[in-house]
Amino acid sequence: MKKTRVAVVFAGGLLAAAMATAAPNIPRLKSGKPDFSGIWETTSAAEYDLEPHSGRADAPPSAGVIEGKTIPYLPAALEQKKKNFAARGNDDPRLKCWTLGTPRGIYYREPFQIFQRDRDLTLLFQFGHSVRTIHTNGTLHPEVTDNEFYLGDSRAHWEGDTLVVDVTDFGTETWLDRAGNFHGPKLHVVERWRFLDENTLEYQATLEDPDVYSRPWTLSVQLHRHREKDFQLIENYCFTLGYDKYYPVPQQGTTE
Amino acid sequence: MMAHSMNTRRLLPLLSLAVLAMTQAQAQQAPGGERIQREKTVTAIASGKWTGPRLADGQPDVQGHWSNTIANHNNWTDPQGGVPGDPGRNGPPPTPRAERAPSRVSDPSDGEVPFQPWARAIQQEFLQYFHNPIKEQYIEPLARCAPAGVPKSFTWHGYEIRQYPGYVLFLFNSGTRVIHLDGKPHLPDNIKLWNADSRGRWEGNTLIVDVTNNNAKARLARTGEFFSENVHIEERYIFNSDGTRYNYVATITDPTVFTRPWTATIPARRFSLRDEPDGWHYEVAYANQPAGKPPLIERYERICVENNGPFGNVAVLSAK
Repeated sequence: MKKTRVAVVFAGGLLAAAMATAAPNIPRLKSGKPDFSGIWETTSAAEYDLEPHSGRADAPPSAGVIEGKTIPYLPAALEQKKKNFAARGNDDPRLKCWTLGTPRGIYYREPFQIFQRDRDLTLLFQFGHSVRTIHTNGTLHPEVTDNEFYLGDSRAHWEGDTLVVDVTDFGTETWLDRAGNFHGPKLHVVERWRFLDENTLEYQATLEDPDVYSRPWTLSVQLHRHREKDFQLIENYCFTLGYDKYYPVPQQGTTE
Repeated sequence: MMAHSMNTRRLLPLLSLAVLAMTQAQAQQAPGGERIQREKTVTAIASGKWTGPRLADGQPDVQGHWSNTIANHNNWTDPQGGVPGDPGRNGPPPTPRAERAPSRVSDPSDGEVPFQPWARAIQQEFLQYFHNPIKEQYIEPLARCAPAGVPKSFTWHGYEIRQYPGYVLFLFNSGTRVIHLDGKPHLPDNIKLWNADSRGRWEGNTLIVDVTNNNAKARLARTGEFFSENVHIEERYIFNSDGTRYNYVATITDPTVFTRPWTATIPARRFSLRDEPDGWHYEVAYANQPAGKPPLIERYERICVENNGPFGNVAVLSAK
């Protein structure tokens, strides 16, 4: 009896070790690299508020997704965050259907699709209209330093089966969630993407911004593969909703 | 025309210098105005076998950067004829019609869209008010950053094709299209989309795409041509095997608006490292490569509405 138990514990330990390095049976490209192709979405409440919070009218409760629970804002930035929170019903860029940015687009509660080649990953978000390319071909961030991308400039490399993405060249018009958590133009994000099993990804993002945070901090969410039959993205260019009542042309016999 | 957030003005001269040696033979004029206009004829490409390179999944490899060879969206049936009534630089040129590129309507042979009379009147009304849009519906949706849709996207800036097992992806300046090659059924028909819903298959050198669920909100051109939500489009992208050109040939059927099905033809050519980025047909950047690596083209994110990027004649977002 005792022997058996030891063996089970031992086997469990091996399994855990194996899963920490490489999940078994994950999809791979011909090159052997993990193949993240698919349609993904988180089930977490991260996008409502990255930090721990009770339920409120505009957010379900959540224990948060941040290592160390809260974002280490510098004092002035914390004041700004509080202002953002108070004004979130009007000031959240999401309400204008603007590009959500990196990392917010990843844990927004609509699906996004990854298309993958050896040279890059293409991330197409159902919400909004922007396409993000993560380059995996050894290229570097642009030499010019005044690019202001909503999604950042993404250059990646592989560490074993983990895709490590360095993201820079941000603007300031994106938030991190609906609670007004934010960043500045010096934001630098390092993402780590890896399979937990063939249908589940772990997504980690470490954010640093010396003007806003007192130290780098890390959030983590899981992404689940959409496996429903015939599932596909359905474009959601919601910024057109304000004026699309003027189109299309009314058909003959109908009135405007 | 700024539809993306890179600092184009600073980047282009730097990049141009970097590749001057290899591009000076093909140096092209800066974009804008009539210089967007290029060729005056449509190069014939027959449907047939594909003898060019293939991807691992068997698809003809047509990945890369493409743009139409004729003109932009100013005028559907006289593509190089400017916008009738335009008081500015996009007005009709003084050249005889015969010296300009043919109509994008390749069937019927008269080059005219076979509108029913009521629909012709609507098209003329849009054109009449295009430069004085006294009602919201006279403002072209693209000027408000709406996706150009099917088929207008093929006349609006260059675009990139990326291919994957089961998919062909079009990354337009304004909007993205996913062509599904796996034969799944179309979306329910009450779902209407700017970029419609596309099911494709390859036959030799031709990508054949069945397009439904079109929201019909995008006009085909500034001249106001349109169809209804009932439209059904069958597209044939006919590629030549050396991978330099394709013709977009689309049969457009909509008994609500037209007297008969008609065919649109939009010729396109590939852009490559031999071409210099021009900010319109070929809106790309040179990748920052480690020393010693060969030049490589890449595409930056496209952003429109966030930049307050609406453009063109009295383009306003007042309806927001």
